[in-house]
Amino acid sequence: MGAFCGKMLRDLGMDVIKLEPPGGDPARREPPFAKDRENGEGSLRFAYLNAGKRSVTLDITQELGRKAFLELIGRSDVVLESFEPGYLAAHNLGYHDLIEKQKKLILVSVSGFGQDGPYAHYKTPDIVGNAMGGLLYISGDPTMTPCNPPETQSYYYASLFACYGVMLALWQRETRGIGAWIDTSIQASMALHEHVAFNYSAEGRVMKRAGSQHQHNAPANLFECKNGWIALFVTQNHWPLLLRIWDDHDPALDDPKWINSNLRRQHADYINAQVTTFTSRFLKEELAELFQKNGIPGLPVNSPSDFMKDPHILARGFFGTVRHPILGTFRQPGNCFMVDGARGGPMPAPLLGQHNDEILRGELGLSMNEALS
Amino acid sequence: MSPDQILQGVRILAFTTGYAGPYAGRLLASYGAEVIKIESKKGGLDTFRHYGQHKDIDAAPRFIECNLGVRSLAVNLKHPTGARLIRELAGKSDAVLQNFRPRVLDKLGLGDDELRGSNPKLVIVKLPGFGSEGPKSNYGTWGFNLTAFSGITYLWNHPEQDRPIGSQGVYPDHLGFVMGPTLLVAALLNSRRSRKGVTIDLAQIESTAAVLGTTYLETSVNGDDPQPKGNHYETAAPHGCYRCQGEDRWCVISVRNDDEWRAFCRAVGRDELLKDARFADLPARLNHRLELDRIVEEWTQSRIAEDVMRDLQEAGVPAGVVQTGADLLRDPQLRHRNYFSPFANSLIGPFEIPRSGFMFRGATEDPLRLPNRLGSDNESILIDILGYDRATIESWRNEEVLT
Repeated sequence: MGAFCGKMLRDLGMDVIKLEPPGGDPARREPPFAKDRENGEGSLRFAYLNAGKRSVTLDITQELGRKAFLELIGRSDVVLESFEPGYLAAHNLGYHDLIEKQKKLILVSVSGFGQDGPYAHYKTPDIVGNAMGGLLYISGDPTMTPCNPPETQSYYYASLFACYGVMLALWQRETRGIGAWIDTSIQASMALHEHVAFNYSAEGRVMKRAGSQHQHNAPANLFECKNGWIALFVTQNHWPLLLRIWDDHDPALDDPKWINSNLRRQHADYINAQVTTFTSRFLKEELAELFQKNGIPGLPVNSPSDFMKDPHILARGFFGTVRHPILGTFRQPGNCFMVDGARGGPMPAPLLGQHNDEILRGELGLSMNEALS
Repeated sequence: MSPDQILQGVRILAFTTGYAGPYAGRLLASYGAEVIKIESKKGGLDTFRHYGQHKDIDAAPRFIECNLGVRSLAVNLKHPTGARLIRELAGKSDAVLQNFRPRVLDKLGLGDDELRGSNPKLVIVKLPGFGSEGPKSNYGTWGFNLTAFSGITYLWNHPEQDRPIGSQGVYPDHLGFVMGPTLLVAALLNSRRSRKGVTIDLAQIESTAAVLGTTYLETSVNGDDPQPKGNHYETAAPHGCYRCQGEDRWCVISVRNDDEWRAFCRAVGRDELLKDARFADLPARLNHRLELDRIVEEWTQSRIAEDVMRDLQEAGVPAGVVQTGADLLRDPQLRHRNYFSPFANSLIGPFEIPRSGFMFRGATEDPLRLPNRLGSDNESILIDILGYDRATIESWRNEEVLT
């Protein structure tokens, strides 16, 4: 649940040590996998979400593992955990136990619904987070079943909030000398999405699935091209620009009443059908370029592999090359931000226990016997 | 200490418009930063002030939602005096947050070096759609078309559909408005030590692509061309969104292992399924997932979504109601977290609004604040921060510097 938070913290330059039970983080067995690598170190999800971290295997339910864990706590600024609420406390390793060891510790917990409350112990695979947070209800075509977004978006999104919480807590520690326990909820993170709660509260309006049709605007949808689709979002400022480049449009559209976005939205079926007669003459990339040259924000609907080939993305160096002992050499996203024009990463994920010796013996000074057990 | 005071003493100048930039400012203001939003009636108003049909530019609901807690400075940046005042203010600020297109501020004499002028510690965070550099950096972008460009729209569909649908929403804005404040505070921590501010370029297309990283690896490691999976998941069956009693009511259910499968069969009163060879283990259940979906929906469709969730979760099976906006407002778990900040009075009447995805345990949070009206902080900012007198301010008002 919180793996992407750890990745963000690593991307920000922190030394992130991933503590795994002896059998490894179950995420190592999560799909998708590298071809023919379903067993052992082949998880691409793990490879991405744990890029750049160091891995140590520790059984914190055993005495030696617990001792090493507490030693590490004494040398750490932040502990990130996504156990079921109460798990750490049940092992006498809850917030109040940990701050005995490190007074200014920042503990950041990521769970489905938060550390307490009526749903605190509900199980939360990604789709439950998207459903209970309100994003799923508005996703997809109104005539079809609500559709979950790709990958595990509710985990990603809660991880982003958790990471912001860590930065605030670090600032608080820096300026006031105190630690904190940050309680991140996947549901609460998702419920900020798309004005769903606000629209109902302020206007009594329940947002519903609307396909790709925007609530307040038309044409603001996906439009067919010769080789795929283009995403268009045309406001009242863009509408006259669109009519200008579309020289054989129906003269009825020149009526100044159509400048009004709300009116166009009310007649979206008509407007969309008209616009499709124009877009369907072009390739999606060529049409996007024509629109952008004329000040209209159109972009192609890319497949992931289209995106990876885009000249702009290539020019910005978003993807870099990593070498991984099992997965080989491949392209992986680097940091999603640049600092003074430079981009960090990408880095490979660690193998299970790759840094046991380095950390347990080298940094904690545990004896060989202790480290091996 | 209350979490809404953590960033007290941090001053941020915000050149923001629309959703991602303003909301990033709101999330900083919510934790105590003094966020000064800079706009002008001379061609520089936040576009959300005109969103909907409100005559009062301070009363557009979308603007209020995205700008909670910010102060407002109305100054004409195209006037040389206006731009100079901003440079002076930057000298007394900690950070600049902006989501304008690349080079808009540079052309007004407010480029990075000019803003940093006498204040080398100044942190600058930019959230342009396509980034500050690159062949398409001047492209016009919105959350909606950035989602499409990243590959998310292509994948956010049921596999049986013949056209992409994705979402009506603006997912990239949500990613940018959390990541922006995160990077800004990280850079403040850095400049406290290094005495040198950095410039951060957060291209929203890249923060969007960051949540599709695993998928890109499927392409780069396996040479695959990933396709939409809808509500299918590779390691759970049943896994999906099932119709319940009532109009457009749904519950999601996910059965990930044999324990959950046994618990599921017992909870729905279908013990005989445990002996059915088609469902003997996870690979078998995945092979017969369409049959399972039918069996599950037969059970859910005559039941209330909330009951389905409760009965299954209490039995140890993951399930969740597909909640609407109305459901969120009465959700007992969110209420338990004191998740909504109430506004009894505002230009748009009473409303409640989500606070944040996390809470600081043991701390109580004060209610959020409304945005200040356009230009209502002009005097206090120019007098208290920059030390000007009322007469000078009055003359600038007449010269249309302050508008």
